[in-house]
Amino acid sequence: MRQRHPTLPITLAELIRIEPLARAHVAHLADPARRVEQVVLAENFDRLRRSTPHSLIVLHAEAATGGWALATALNLAWERNASAVLVSRAVAGPSSDALAQRLNITLLGIDGDPVDLALQLAGQISAPDAARALRQAQAAERLAEQTGVRGVLGVLNSELGANVPVALVAGDVVVAGRASAVARHPGVEQVGVDLHGPGERPWARLMAAVPAQVPGAAEQVHALLLLARPPLLAAWAQTRLNSGTHAAHEQAAFGLLRQLAGRSGRPVPAAEAADVEAPAWNSELGWQVEGINRAVWLAPLRSAGEPPPELTHLVRAAWQRGHPNWPLIAEGDGWISWQSSAGTEDVVPLRRALTAFRGAAAAHGLVVGVGRPHPGVSGLMRSIAEARLVAHVAREAGPGAVRWFDQVGAPTALAWLPVAELAEVAELCLPDLMDARDRDALVDTVLAVLDCGGSLSQASQRLGVHRNTVLARVARSRQLGLAFDDPAQRLALHVLCYALAAVRPERPGPGDLPDEQGLPDPGRG
Amino acid sequence: MSSTAAGPGYIGMVSSIGAEDVLTLYEGAKFYSPAVGDANKASLTFWLTGLLDRNGPVDLRRADGLPEQTPCISLCVLGSGAALADLPPAGDEFALAVQRIERVARVTFGAIYPLAAATVSALAPVAAASQLGLPLLDADGMGRTFALIDHTAMHLAGVSPTPLVAYGATGESVLIDAQSASRGTRLLGANVDPLGGWAALAAYPTTAGVLRRAALPGTVSRLVNVGRLLLERTDPDLLVARLAAITGCHRVGRGRIVEFEQLSRPTDKTIPAHPSSLVIEESGERGRQFRIELRSEIVAVFADGLLVAGVPDVLCLLDVSRGEIATLDSLEVGDLVDVLVTPADGLWYSAEGLAMVGLASHGINLDHPRRR
Repeated sequence: MRQRHPTLPITLAELIRIEPLARAHVAHLADPARRVEQVVLAENFDRLRRSTPHSLIVLHAEAATGGWALATALNLAWERNASAVLVSRAVAGPSSDALAQRLNITLLGIDGDPVDLALQLAGQISAPDAARALRQAQAAERLAEQTGVRGVLGVLNSELGANVPVALVAGDVVVAGRASAVARHPGVEQVGVDLHGPGERPWARLMAAVPAQVPGAAEQVHALLLLARPPLLAAWAQTRLNSGTHAAHEQAAFGLLRQLAGRSGRPVPAAEAADVEAPAWNSELGWQVEGINRAVWLAPLRSAGEPPPELTHLVRAAWQRGHPNWPLIAEGDGWISWQSSAGTEDVVPLRRALTAFRGAAAAHGLVVGVGRPHPGVSGLMRSIAEARLVAHVAREAGPGAVRWFDQVGAPTALAWLPVAELAEVAELCLPDLMDARDRDALVDTVLAVLDCGGSLSQASQRLGVHRNTVLARVARSRQLGLAFDDPAQRLALHVLCYALAAVRPERPGPGDLPDEQGLPDPGRG
Repeated sequence: MSSTAAGPGYIGMVSSIGAEDVLTLYEGAKFYSPAVGDANKASLTFWLTGLLDRNGPVDLRRADGLPEQTPCISLCVLGSGAALADLPPAGDEFALAVQRIERVARVTFGAIYPLAAATVSALAPVAAASQLGLPLLDADGMGRTFALIDHTAMHLAGVSPTPLVAYGATGESVLIDAQSASRGTRLLGANVDPLGGWAALAAYPTTAGVLRRAALPGTVSRLVNVGRLLLERTDPDLLVARLAAITGCHRVGRGRIVEFEQLSRPTDKTIPAHPSSLVIEESGERGRQFRIELRSEIVAVFADGLLVAGVPDVLCLLDVSRGEIATLDSLEVGDLVDVLVTPADGLWYSAEGLAMVGLASHGINLDHPRRR
């Protein structure tokens, strides 16, 4: 907590946040940071003339009759360098508001007996820290009653009001609260408190956007956020404890399921699929495997071993936002999930979930592969295998990419080709070609001709060059060792050409394709 | 009208008031009581012009230009101007009021003087003087108007207002003979309504010798001089400069009316008035907020909440676009006005004067700017 001297005079900004001034109408606020040292109950103008600077002047009796009397009081308050003038709401009008603005003196309108108000305010001003502490203590009491993240944020929202949005942010993702708390605006000061997980590792940040023109408010909000930290950490630890157990449970259950299916992630022949019966404990976890299952593989862009549990936690939070019952099982370097539905066509919830997850996927550097729909447990295993394969294809498109096995199909295999190693093989097998300056054009031409099943005209169309050019390049390629007419060499040369084209840095990648679903290039199919 | 170039007198002194001076007198009288509207203007000036046409000009004399023992009587219109419009004068009320006191006091007056040389009360004594064939004194009791008839220089000098007569347009009259001025005022107040809302008042019977020290001299001539300037309709800045030379007035500021407040605030019961305020935003760089406090007239001017002028100053608003004094019932939000402050006679800034007609009598308990 920021240090404050206990006798530091209370500021106007602090006073107007607590009763009774919290309900006052602020006609003009000259300087919220202005200190208030004394309350003067002014029943006439002589009393006003004797007031000391930094006073809060409460107008009463003759001085509170409005009209010229209020104008005179404002002038005298200005002359005496008062911090603010408090007057009955009934007597303040547009002209007094305008005069307060012109003299730049704070004018507050309030209903109630001026004598009572003056006494109450005098108490607050004589013990400034008590007034501050009162507000914080009330807030702390309410925060302590909360056990959940949402409850804590609810208390903060009601304490801070609509003008100060609060959000809990993990990484760049708003986990709870209002997104406007993290939006940067010119008139807004952002206040944040870090929440640390085990080993002092930052887990999340509690953020609030405070209107910048009220400087005292930022400190108050910061103090409140600090008060909210322990209940938030407790709530988080609780859910993490739960989710940690839950994750272990899910992982074990999935292992069992896989054993039942009798395979470990490898594609299962469709004929065997329906044989395995789903065990009863599935429903305890909230899983559904009896219907048609379509698996999703979430994988990091670069495979780097098992992801840390914190990342698993964040990915789970983001993935399960709309579908708390969908599983999320850490497996190898990624995570498995699936959607189970009655029919194969029901992909709308999954598409929605993927759209919602796109931001988080990009933020955490993840790609997504989606398998085809298959029935039952063994079908699930098959779909998982497909999803994992196609996720590999998605890696080429960068973070946030989603690829569907339905749309990629057999070319998935190409993603598994070790193109870099194959290119090195080419250096050894085809030295003449590799030395040629026009080798890129030759490789592209031969690749096109092979892709087009030997049709020169189709290849020339695809390359956008004349058929004779294709013919000439093919002839030259042959001289340089690309003898693809020989059936014994054709596959090897096709693969080598693909690898050489793939490793070339300027090669247009699938990420540049307009279709985000990554439909494979028909020319390569 | 003619000015005396030679002999005892003062600059701008007027020696007589003729038919051609009526409009001038009317305009000047308005300057010293700007609250009053123009409702009676046509009928009053027409009547007085006709009277002066028939009877010739009225002599205007200085108090020290008459023998010391000459009995004099003051006249004014008592009551509201609105009532005067509803119930027009028969024309002889003022002369009859004077004659009634002559009978009671067994005296024959040798001169008439205005109780308050402003508003219609500045015209009525001229009419009576013309009807009675008497000279008019170039002096009055207020030098402007105040709300009550004991707010006079004569009262401060110890001259009794009684015996006094209030003569109504109905032909009825009330004679009041009281021990003190305040009792006289009280008794009179109760009789104005039954007389029709207004009455011709003849009061403060005294002698020219007493009036030499007890009345404010030159106040009728001043009305003619001021009226002449106002009728010229020159550029407002030039008008203010010229008025300043005659009346000592100055402009507090120029601004636009932005708000008209009707507030019901406790006010002094003895002064019949409806308090309200005008808010004016000053034009130009200073941009001050003027607050004009109104009762039956303008009683105070605040600039940014600081009292800069107040009664007994004569406060008026000059309509800049028309180049004339604005009456309070003609003001509208958006009007561009000059706030003019004219000092009253020095008498009114004495402690006794301020106690009688100062800001406190209007419920404003602040020190007068001229006494700070």
